[in-house]
Amino acid sequence: MSKKNLKTNRGVSLIETLFYIVLFTMLSIVVINAMITMMKSFKETAVQRELAQSGTIVEIMSREIKKAYDISSLSSTDLVLNTKDELNNNKTVEFVLSGSDLLFKENNVLTGNLNVPNITIIGLTFTQIITTKGKAVKITLSVRSKGDATPNTENFYDTIVLRGNY
Amino acid sequence: MRINKKNNKGFMMIEIIIATSIIVIFVLISMSVATKTIAFSRQSFHITQAAFLLEESAEVVRINRDNAWINISGLTASTIYYPTFSGGTWVLSTSPTQVDNFTRTVVMSNVNRDATTSDIAPSGVNDTGTKLFTVTVSWLEGGQTITKTLKFYISDIFSS
Repeated sequence: MSKKNLKTNRGVSLIETLFYIVLFTMLSIVVINAMITMMKSFKETAVQRELAQSGTIVEIMSREIKKAYDISSLSSTDLVLNTKDELNNNKTVEFVLSGSDLLFKENNVLTGNLNVPNITIIGLTFTQIITTKGKAVKITLSVRSKGDATPNTENFYDTIVLRGNY
Repeated sequence: MRINKKNNKGFMMIEIIIATSIIVIFVLISMSVATKTIAFSRQSFHITQAAFLLEESAEVVRINRDNAWINISGLTASTIYYPTFSGGTWVLSTSPTQVDNFTRTVVMSNVNRDATTSDIAPSGVNDTGTKLFTVTVSWLEGGQTITKTLKFYISDIFSS
């Protein structure tokens, strides 16, 4: 065993080891970064799906307003519509903001919340529009998802003419 | 013996590097797919919002018709109008407006009817009681503009 030989061998393996350690560290940083990005994007996708689902709220309101023949009362966050049921009897339908939930009432009886539990209603505004031939309601709805790390408020806008009287 | 051992070690290293790079490439591809997913789900959410804005634009035209047919027939064909909420009602204005990141436009065109069948035709007699409306909602998505269009006819049902 010559001293020289041993020394050369050890030197090469040390540089090699260093090189591989650096390489693997860099790779694992890249991989961990990618994993974090993926997890974030899956969460984001879920949030977007919940927000898109809350479009159904506007869809329901739009359908009820189209069927209605008159507005019974309207304040910024409370809309009561006069409408007819399947048997052509008069009934009232009410949309009212209570805290961060949007309640749906039929004949003053609570049917349920229109928003899913993960969705917070940030703002709701009803505005009455009177035309020569009838009425219309302008709706502004702002929602936020509870699962959203950076709380983004998303808005829906719609205006519907009451067609029950046409 | 010693040479053999050394060779073996080197070969193992190459194997590990290959395996690692395959895994890294796989993870990077998954990441780019996931990132694309965000873009698409955002876009689909914006399309949902745009659908309501389109519906609103159509209702704006209807409100104007309900108030007086002159609001519709007085518009200049092929001119771009913007729905504007003013004085407690919707009006069609020529000054551009924006709702969040969405731009809405309303364009009126005249309608011609075939002289014999009275059907809507590319050429024929101008029907003053019917107009064709094209409403659009456009917004910027990842550097490119997306436009959604809705076309409908509206008739003067209250004047006569």
